[in-house]
Amino acid sequence: MAPDPNSASGSGTSKEDTSVKVPSKDPKKKDEKKDEDLSDEDLALKLQLELYVERVQDPDPRLQKVALESMRQEIRTSTSSMTSVPKPLKFLRPHYGILKAYYETMADSDLKKYLADILSVLALTMSAEGERESLKYRLLGLEGDIGSWGHEYVRNLAGECAQEYAKRQSEETSIEDLMELVTQIVAFHMKHNAEPEAVDLLMEVEDLDLLIDHVDKTNFKRTCLYLTSAARYLPGPDDMLVLDIAYMIYLKYEEYSNALQIALFLDNMQYVRQVFTVCDDLLRKKQFCYIVARHGITFELDDEMAADDEDREALQEIINNTKSSEGYLTLARDIEVMEPKSPEDIYKAHLLDGRASAGASVDSARQNLAATFVNAFVNAGFGQDKLMTVPSDSLSGGSSGNWLFKNKEHGKASAAASLGMILLWDVDSGLAQIDKYFHSNDNHVIAGALLGVGIVNCGIKNDCDPALALLADYIDKEDSSIRIGAIMGLGIAYAGSQNEQIRSKLSPILNDAKAPLDVVAFTAISLGLIYVGSCNEEVAQAIIFALMDRSELELQEPLTRFLPLGLGLLYLGKQESVEATAEVSKTFNEKIRKCCDMTLLSCAYAGTGNVLKVQNLLGHCAQHLEKGETHQGPAVLGIAMVAMAEELGLEMAIRSLEHLLQYGEQNIRRAVPVALGLLCISNPKVNVMDTLSRLSHDADSEVAMAAVISLGLIGAGTNNARIAGMLRNLSSYYYKDASLLFCVRIAQGLVHLGKGLLTLNPYHSDRFLLSPTALAGLVTMLHACLDMKAIILGKYHYVLYFLVLAMQPRMLLTVDENLKPLSVPVRVGQAVDVVGQAGRPKTITGFQTHSTPVLLAAGDRAELATEKYIPLSPILEGFVILKENPEYREGH
Amino acid sequence: MLTVSVKWQKEVFPKVEIDMSQPPYVFKCQLYDLTGVPPERQKIMVKGGLLKDDADWATLGVKEGQKLMMMGTADEIVKAPEKGPVFMEDLPEEEQVVAVGHSAGLFNLGNTCYMNSTIQCLHSVPELKSALVKYPSERRSDLDQTSHMLTAATRELFNELDKSVKPVAPMQFWMVLRKKYPQFGQLHNGTFMQQDAEECWTQLLYTLSQSLRSPSPSESLDTVKALFGIELVSRIHCQESGEESSETESVYSLKCHISQEVNHLHEGLKHGLKSELEKASPSLGRSAIYLKESRINALPRYLTVQFVRFFWKRESNQKAKILRKVDYPLELDVYDFCSDDLHKKLEAPRQSLRDEESKKLGLKANEKSSGSKDNDVKMTDAEGSSNGSGESSKATSEEGGSSDRESHLTGIYDLVAVLTHKGRSADSGHYVAWVKQENGKWIEFDDDNPIPQREDDITKLSGGGDWHMAYICMYKARAVPM
Repeated sequence: MAPDPNSASGSGTSKEDTSVKVPSKDPKKKDEKKDEDLSDEDLALKLQLELYVERVQDPDPRLQKVALESMRQEIRTSTSSMTSVPKPLKFLRPHYGILKAYYETMADSDLKKYLADILSVLALTMSAEGERESLKYRLLGLEGDIGSWGHEYVRNLAGECAQEYAKRQSEETSIEDLMELVTQIVAFHMKHNAEPEAVDLLMEVEDLDLLIDHVDKTNFKRTCLYLTSAARYLPGPDDMLVLDIAYMIYLKYEEYSNALQIALFLDNMQYVRQVFTVCDDLLRKKQFCYIVARHGITFELDDEMAADDEDREALQEIINNTKSSEGYLTLARDIEVMEPKSPEDIYKAHLLDGRASAGASVDSARQNLAATFVNAFVNAGFGQDKLMTVPSDSLSGGSSGNWLFKNKEHGKASAAASLGMILLWDVDSGLAQIDKYFHSNDNHVIAGALLGVGIVNCGIKNDCDPALALLADYIDKEDSSIRIGAIMGLGIAYAGSQNEQIRSKLSPILNDAKAPLDVVAFTAISLGLIYVGSCNEEVAQAIIFALMDRSELELQEPLTRFLPLGLGLLYLGKQESVEATAEVSKTFNEKIRKCCDMTLLSCAYAGTGNVLKVQNLLGHCAQHLEKGETHQGPAVLGIAMVAMAEELGLEMAIRSLEHLLQYGEQNIRRAVPVALGLLCISNPKVNVMDTLSRLSHDADSEVAMAAVISLGLIGAGTNNARIAGMLRNLSSYYYKDASLLFCVRIAQGLVHLGKGLLTLNPYHSDRFLLSPTALAGLVTMLHACLDMKAIILGKYHYVLYFLVLAMQPRMLLTVDENLKPLSVPVRVGQAVDVVGQAGRPKTITGFQTHSTPVLLAAGDRAELATEKYIPLSPILEGFVILKENPEYREGH
Repeated sequence: MLTVSVKWQKEVFPKVEIDMSQPPYVFKCQLYDLTGVPPERQKIMVKGGLLKDDADWATLGVKEGQKLMMMGTADEIVKAPEKGPVFMEDLPEEEQVVAVGHSAGLFNLGNTCYMNSTIQCLHSVPELKSALVKYPSERRSDLDQTSHMLTAATRELFNELDKSVKPVAPMQFWMVLRKKYPQFGQLHNGTFMQQDAEECWTQLLYTLSQSLRSPSPSESLDTVKALFGIELVSRIHCQESGEESSETESVYSLKCHISQEVNHLHEGLKHGLKSELEKASPSLGRSAIYLKESRINALPRYLTVQFVRFFWKRESNQKAKILRKVDYPLELDVYDFCSDDLHKKLEAPRQSLRDEESKKLGLKANEKSSGSKDNDVKMTDAEGSSNGSGESSKATSEEGGSSDRESHLTGIYDLVAVLTHKGRSADSGHYVAWVKQENGKWIEFDDDNPIPQREDDITKLSGGGDWHMAYICMYKARAVPM
């Protein structure tokens, strides 16, 4: 009888190899030699089969039929053994040619088809490579149940179908009969837990839509998982198509959260709306809102998506992130890290006794500025610190003012803005605390306060638009530091919002001949952030004109790099859409042309993992330049931006960067650490850590600076003890070099970002989704790092605050149906790739059980350790609503 | 009449009435009553803008029940402090030195690390510095021109070291040194050769002792001798003839001989104070072996110990190095090497030093017991170190001002500078100075690069490998005022 396909399905692939290859390798004489050793049983079988072959050629159709049926019977009963060529097939091998020849002579009849079936099976082992005889006879045969001949046969057929399809496609002949067979094969595979095979076949024959009819409740999850993972390795536009199918399937089976994630991945707002419209469960919609909020896009609900006004308001509130501060503080209280930390707690100079510089009796402006940043990063979002928010009723009317004035000139701007970072996401009390700085008579302080307002509002939307209301008036002030503060504040607060009102206010600055270069540069960045990934024509035009208006001298200014970057951000991740603009950029002054080209290319393909683009960028880095062109830095960074999409490409990129380090020119070497920092952001891989540690002692101080900052980036928010130790040693190694020491301090602050509760990784939801605003913020800061001396060590150190766009709590916070925190046990462990695996494999390994809220490290995954609740999101990250399981029994 | 709700910080005022006929200023005054924020400090957000005092309600489109947001505090406005902080970056270079906490490094002018490290070690002697400051620019008649120039160059160099943060290039000094001692100008393959730091040290001190001698002939005013001179009294004894004689001599350093048995400085010094010499014996009428045993008769303020690590190796024609590990302490007691006369003199000061120390220990013990148990260890440590450094600076200032009579030597010495050598022969390798600063911190002066070091690391320079090993140690006397 037909073999039980279930028993063999799991490990079919490996066996396929053995059973197919054996006959092709075995020379015939070996077969003959063995004849003599055959057991009696086998000999009998052989003779029997030979008899059948003879009978088939008998003129009597009755005899023929009996012979064919017997032969079929023999073959079928034998296919159960998969480790070797089934005996009947083996014994029939010498007669394949005879049967084939006889088949040609037969008149059309049922019998002929019957023989075709058998020939099709025999061709499984006999047919020469590329002949596709199995398929040929199958199409000529009876078209009966395809599975009756066993799994191996179906797999072989599937392979031949794909080849045949390609051939016919090129010859442009009909494929109807083929598709019918494909349908059969897909149905068979889908029924027998071989979803990857079915998907593969359909992708080969370019008809994935067929899949929807064949998925069912039991296999759609595995199918979709395979589809989404396969999409990463497909060239466009196939990947979009595949995800589209996955989206349809999820929608069909009401897995709306998954559907939403795919919709977000596709950046298809139509789909997002559809998910909201189709789902009628308010609680699930709330979960959707949390997912949308984490992704950091601006999304307005309308009547269709939530009919009830009150519900809609509640949902919109979640999307607007108004409660994210509360959630974060819940986590902080649970982990007991509310106590503010001072920069000294981070530096831990006492562990370096003797080596740390002698207790400085005089303030160093540079070091105080570093302390300002460290303080801001470490206490980000906690609402309290030891420098800026010290209660003003303490001695001498507020020592907070004192710390502010321990910074010099533009340092005061960063100090005032740091208040925004400390009060991150807490708009109400944040604005109240920043307010007093608006009335200062120092322009730098006002600029800082404006920036601070922007930072506080980062990722938070508010109906009253306080940031816009407060900042709008300052955009056209006389003092350029105030203007920059307001412009950058708007950029951070409204990143991704595509706010028309702001555009109409900012665009004129770009083309104002009187505006200083730095104001223009920051305007371009802010517009880029606000319109990130929108491909907005008008903004693009404005920036292009601004670039064209620059004089040759201005094009050499370090800040000019922000103009192409602003342009690039408009096309972030939009791939081909950039082409028109890229064409225009070819007409720019040659000083900036290539740099602009690289920036646009890298932004447009950021997060796509497009290998061709990586190669293109690598090609640019391979050239040795003489004229001191600047485009290689952005190109190196571009490699990281494109390749960061998936794990495999990421590893390859790290290796390529190592090569660049060895063979590249100095301008490339300076960019490599920054690129490594982006690739492993908030994910301290040991090999990268070692590379950066080595580079942090590089003879070229700019390489060393970039490496030090990158050490901070890869350890951002991890409290990684090894990196912390390295940085501490670097702080004593570089204690004399004020610039490098500043970088070390910044890195130390980053490692302890939010006391270890925050991450800078723009990827979320199991590394599936890439938050565009987060990536835009990171890229902006990293581009600034390409010219450390002029920007971060100069007077534009506040570009470090662009990192705020990428800051997110790396937590799992479970909430009940009223959105109140709910503590449940969860298992947290290393995520395991389960794509294409049969059954219900374990998704995590080496887990520990904690109760929520918990911190998730890079590569960690969580799963509920209780049956009592059902999570409404398939991926346990960020805010997850838990519903009580109605089937749960105590003591179960 | 409209009623709106106003949100202010975390508070919400649910029903605030707006009189549409009055300008918004009136509304702000209403809010002043509620929040205490003066109207001019209020910022009220309406539809993407701020509410102006003279705006028209009708055009603003405020709706019934709308939520308005108000920002503003009655807090005091931050004012810049009248006297802003002074930043290090703004200071002139001389003042930055104080903040940095140690003096500058010296550029290597081509194999001049032996000279640099010698200068750094001697530079750490404040008394020598002050003596040099007093040195007249006019040459004394009994002094030769080159010695005068070298002394003046030393003075200038020390002065420059004190004033700068950035490394100094000792050009002038280097030239004068070569003029005075042509052997340092040896060339090899067109570059200056590496030299023995000990030779440089000795020669420089010798020159200084010549030039810093006061014009009056009295010996006691020889500054260098007062600072570094060690008076030895030796008993020369011939076993064969039983002859015995004694002689006194003054040296600038004690030698630590290194042999198989020597593992510690103490043993090496003992070794170095005993020697055999062959000289004609008047009674025997031929040359005989004499045993010379030396003892210290007068102690210097700065005790220099030289590790005799180099010996002339004929086969390789260079000064080869003994790599043997010889430990040396941070605190050296030379009581054992002193003569009986000196023993007597040292008794009283040593006693008082012991008293003082036990008092301090007792005090500390009390402190510890009185302090609560969870008292941070770090805290007491910090206290201890600050005490220590405070004392040392106090001690130096006292010594600087007063003469010998008030402070008495105790025979106990503290390590203040180490000159180390790394490499296999005296004329190659690298010399580095490790100097304790006035604030108690150790700095490694590797030519132009001063690197802070831990005290633990200083005692690790005792040899036994290819790492830097002590060649010359300079100890400073611990004195008690009496």
